[in-house]
Amino acid sequence: MKRTWMIIALLAAAFAYGCATKKGFEKPGFAFGCPIGDTKVSSMDDLVKFKVLSEGKRTTIVATEMRCTMTGDLLKIDVNLNNDSSKVKRVAYKFRWIDREGMRAWEEEVWKPLLMYENSNIAVSGVAPTNKAVDFRLILLSQE
Amino acid sequence: MIDLSRTRRLALLPLFAAVALAAGCAQEQTRYGDQRSIETVTNQFSSTDLQMIAESMTRSMLQSSAIVSGNLPIVTVQEVKNKTSEYIDTRAVTDSIRSELQKSGKVRFAVDAAAMQQQVEEVERQQGEYYDKEQTAEKGRMVGAQYRMEGNIISIVKQAKDIRDVYYKFNLQLWNVRNGLLEWSDEKEIRKTTTKG
Repeated sequence: MKRTWMIIALLAAAFAYGCATKKGFEKPGFAFGCPIGDTKVSSMDDLVKFKVLSEGKRTTIVATEMRCTMTGDLLKIDVNLNNDSSKVKRVAYKFRWIDREGMRAWEEEVWKPLLMYENSNIAVSGVAPTNKAVDFRLILLSQE
Repeated sequence: MIDLSRTRRLALLPLFAAVALAAGCAQEQTRYGDQRSIETVTNQFSSTDLQMIAESMTRSMLQSSAIVSGNLPIVTVQEVKNKTSEYIDTRAVTDSIRSELQKSGKVRFAVDAAAMQQQVEEVERQQGEYYDKEQTAEKGRMVGAQYRMEGNIISIVKQAKDIRDVYYKFNLQLWNVRNGLLEWSDEKEIRKTTTKG
């Protein structure tokens, strides 16, 4: 009986260790592949709050998921935007690229208009214009 | 005794004030705007369309294997054919794409057909007796492009009583000059609808 409990405990420990090591795949200073520096990001919500800004009129469109990867030596971002309302919404977005020193790595992008149907999701992508851009912010602007 | 002319003058004062106010309202006002904002004055080809196309094409091309694996490939810009029903300065679009690519530091550009005449004239001018022979540009030293960039823009316009719908499709291609292979191609679509009332 004691041995059975011991095996269960060992299995649970191994399982917990397995889960813990999975997190270790993320490089320090990154969350979901996105650069976060020293900011504490423990969930997707934290990452989205950190990376998404709103300018001008606030929109009800929200970013729900964000993932980053490298394409060559350029940072690539995929963001999932969600329109939770029962109305068609219009929003504009742009990425702001930041260099290693925290300065703007590129001039301001053009606002890109987006039409979102009611209760819909849309994925928007951004690729850094230069390898000097090591960080970013997604900016949303209501077009209502 | 009442001064009639003074009374009349006083009665006219509000009228003058109203005219002056109206003239003031009609005055034009000029302000600087955000050059990157969304422009929707009409649904014809706009500055926002130009900027969006240039940005989208550049970012896509920067991910192509010809650019990523090439060691600063040399590109020449050829014509972007305007197949729409309106006037579009396609050279402005390719100029913006070229500037963005050049700034990225991943591509070099060779003299294109449009600028060749000036280039040849300058090289020939430097062959003259007034120039230091050791510093002048020699003939036969120009570098040919490895890739050529060309494309086209089309539009589909539909108009009914109170609605006008415009669809643009910009297509850009990168061709390998040596072997004639298409190395990269991408499209940007834009739809704009104007409704009255």
